[in-house]
Amino acid sequence: MEEPTLRYEKIDFLGEGQFATVYKARDVKTDKIVAVKKIKIGSRMEARDGINRTALREIKLLQELQHINLIGLLDVFGQKSNVSLVFDFMDTDLEIIVKDSNIVLTPGNVKAYTIMTLKGLEYLHQNWILHRDLKPNNLLINREGILKIGDFGLAKAFGSPTRINTHQVVTRWYRSPELLFGARQYGTGVDMWAVGCILAELLLRVPFLPGETDLDQLSRIFQVFGTPTEEIWPGMKSLTDYVQYKQFPAQELRHIFSAASDDLIQLLESLLSLYPPRRCDCTQALQMPYFSNKPAPSAGAKLPMPTFLFKMESEKPSLKRKLMDNIDGGSLAKKLLQF
Amino acid sequence: MAGNFWQSSHHQQWILDKQDLFRDRQHDLAKLTEEEYQKVFNFFASIIQVLGEQLKLRQQVIATATVYFKRFYARNSLKCIDPLLLAPTCVFLASKVEEFGVISNSRLITTCQTVIKNKFSYAYGQQEFPYRTNHILECEFYLLENLDCCLIVYQPYRPLLLFVQDIHTQVQDDQILTYAWRIVNDSLRTDVSLLYPPYQIAISALHIACVMLGKENLKPWFAELNVDMDKIQEIVRTIINLYEMWKSYDEKKEIQGLLGKIPKPCPAPQR
Repeated sequence: MEEPTLRYEKIDFLGEGQFATVYKARDVKTDKIVAVKKIKIGSRMEARDGINRTALREIKLLQELQHINLIGLLDVFGQKSNVSLVFDFMDTDLEIIVKDSNIVLTPGNVKAYTIMTLKGLEYLHQNWILHRDLKPNNLLINREGILKIGDFGLAKAFGSPTRINTHQVVTRWYRSPELLFGARQYGTGVDMWAVGCILAELLLRVPFLPGETDLDQLSRIFQVFGTPTEEIWPGMKSLTDYVQYKQFPAQELRHIFSAASDDLIQLLESLLSLYPPRRCDCTQALQMPYFSNKPAPSAGAKLPMPTFLFKMESEKPSLKRKLMDNIDGGSLAKKLLQF
Repeated sequence: MAGNFWQSSHHQQWILDKQDLFRDRQHDLAKLTEEEYQKVFNFFASIIQVLGEQLKLRQQVIATATVYFKRFYARNSLKCIDPLLLAPTCVFLASKVEEFGVISNSRLITTCQTVIKNKFSYAYGQQEFPYRTNHILECEFYLLENLDCCLIVYQPYRPLLLFVQDIHTQVQDDQILTYAWRIVNDSLRTDVSLLYPPYQIAISALHIACVMLGKENLKPWFAELNVDMDKIQEIVRTIINLYEMWKSYDEKKEIQGLLGKIPKPCPAPQR
C-alpha cells in the first residue's frame, strides 16, 4: 500500500465540523487540488464501533454514483484508526455566494444554480437515494461555476414501504412540513421542499423561513402558505407530531418575490406545495416553462465567485470555512459571517 | 440500495474473470488442491452463516458479508489475514453497510467465542476464539481497502422474488421459491457470486429447483427468457458440483487437516 499521508500534501485548513476536519491538499500523484475530510474518532465508545457510520454511508453511496452535479469521491485512506475521504476540491458554496453582498445574482445565475441542483438531485432520486440534508451550505461550487451536491452523511435509500425513517433530518429551515409533523414514511418530497427553500433564498438573499424552533418553523410556513385543512392535506392530522395551528390565510407568492417572473413563481409554488404528493419531482420541475423560457441560464464561467477567494490567494490563506461538515451544518460559517 | 446494477461497482469492478481469479489463487493452490480450497471456503461460509443467525441478522446481510469475504481472498492469499478474523469482520462491516442497526463489538466477540466453542469445536478443538475488538477494528480497514471501497453488493434474492412473481402469473407453486431460495444460499459457498451477475444466479437457482421438483410445465417460461443460457448452465454446473462434493465429504473429519494446510501469516497472531 502506498503511504497515503505522503500522497496528499496538506495546503490549508478549511474547516471543522462535528464529525470531521477538512483540509485542502495537493494530490502529489496527479497534481490535483483536493479536499481531504478526516473523520474524527469521537468518544471511546464510538471508536469501538469501528469505521464511522456517517463516513461509511458517504463511501458506499458515492462509490456507486457518478454525476457532474454530485461531489466526487476520489479516494479513501486510513491511518491508524482514522479514516479520511478525498473529494473534489470545491472553491465555495451557495451559502457564501448568497451572503456575499458584492455579488449580484442575475435571473440567469439563479436559473443556472437551480438547474444544476435539480439535475444532481434527479440522478440521486433515480437511484432511489434521498439526500435529506439539502441546504445552501451543501451545494458546493468550483471556479468553473459547476455546482455539486455534497455531504452524503445523511443520505439513505428510500422506497421500501416497511422502512421506518427518522424525521430528525434536514436542517430546520429547509425541513418540509411533513417532517416537522413527525412523518416516518416520506419520499423525494423532503428534498424537493428543500430545493424550494433554497431557490427562495437565492431570490431574497436571506433564508426564506428561518424558524427558531420546530414549532416556529411550521408557524412560519403556514403564515406564508396558509394553514392547511384536511382537504388540502389529507391525513395530516394522523401524523405523529401533529398539532393544531392558528388559521393563517395564504399569501400570494408574487407579493413576497416581487421581482420574480411568473414562470419562476409557478416553479416555487410547485416545489413548496404543503401536501407532499402535490410537490413536483425533479424531472417534472426541469420540464416546467421556467427552464425553457428566457433568460437562458448563465454559463458556468459567467457565474460569480466570492471576491475574497481571489484576495486570499495573494495573502496568507486562512480560509476558516468548513467545506463539508455534518449535521451541525454551517454554524461556524454563520458565526464568521455575521457581523 | 436499489440503484442501477449495470452502473454499479458490483457490475463494473466485481464481476471477475474466471482465468484471472484462478491465476490470483495460484499461491494458495500450491498448498491446497482446488477442492480443498473450496472446502475451506465452504467452512468459513458456514461460520459467517451461523454467526449471522446467532446475531439475528437478515439473510441479505449474511450474504453481503460472505461476498466481502470471497472478494477479499479473490485478491489476497489466505495467509494475508487469518480467515477466522476476517469472517467476523465481514459480518461487522456488512451489518453497518446494510444499515442493520448496531452490533456492539463486545456482542460480536462474545458470539464468536460461543459459536466457535459450541458449533465448530470439531474444527478448533479446545482452542478459543483468539481475537479481540482491536483486531476486528484494524481488520475492518484492510477489508474496506481491499474491497476498493465498493460496499454495495447486489444479491440474487430480489431478482429471484421478481422471477417467481412472474412465474406465478402462469403456474401457482409455492415450493419453487423455497427451494430456489435455499439454492441461492448454497451458491454462496461457490465462486458464482464473484463471476456472474445476481440475476443469472437467481435464474440458475430456479432452474435447479424446477429440475429437483420435476416441474416440466415451466419449460416454456425458461424458453422465453432472453438470457445467455450458456452462463446459466455454467452456474448450474458449479452448484451441482457443490452438491456432488457434499455427498462424499465429511467436514467434521477433514476440516482440521485442511485448516492445518492453509498458508499462515508469520508471525502468528498474538493472543
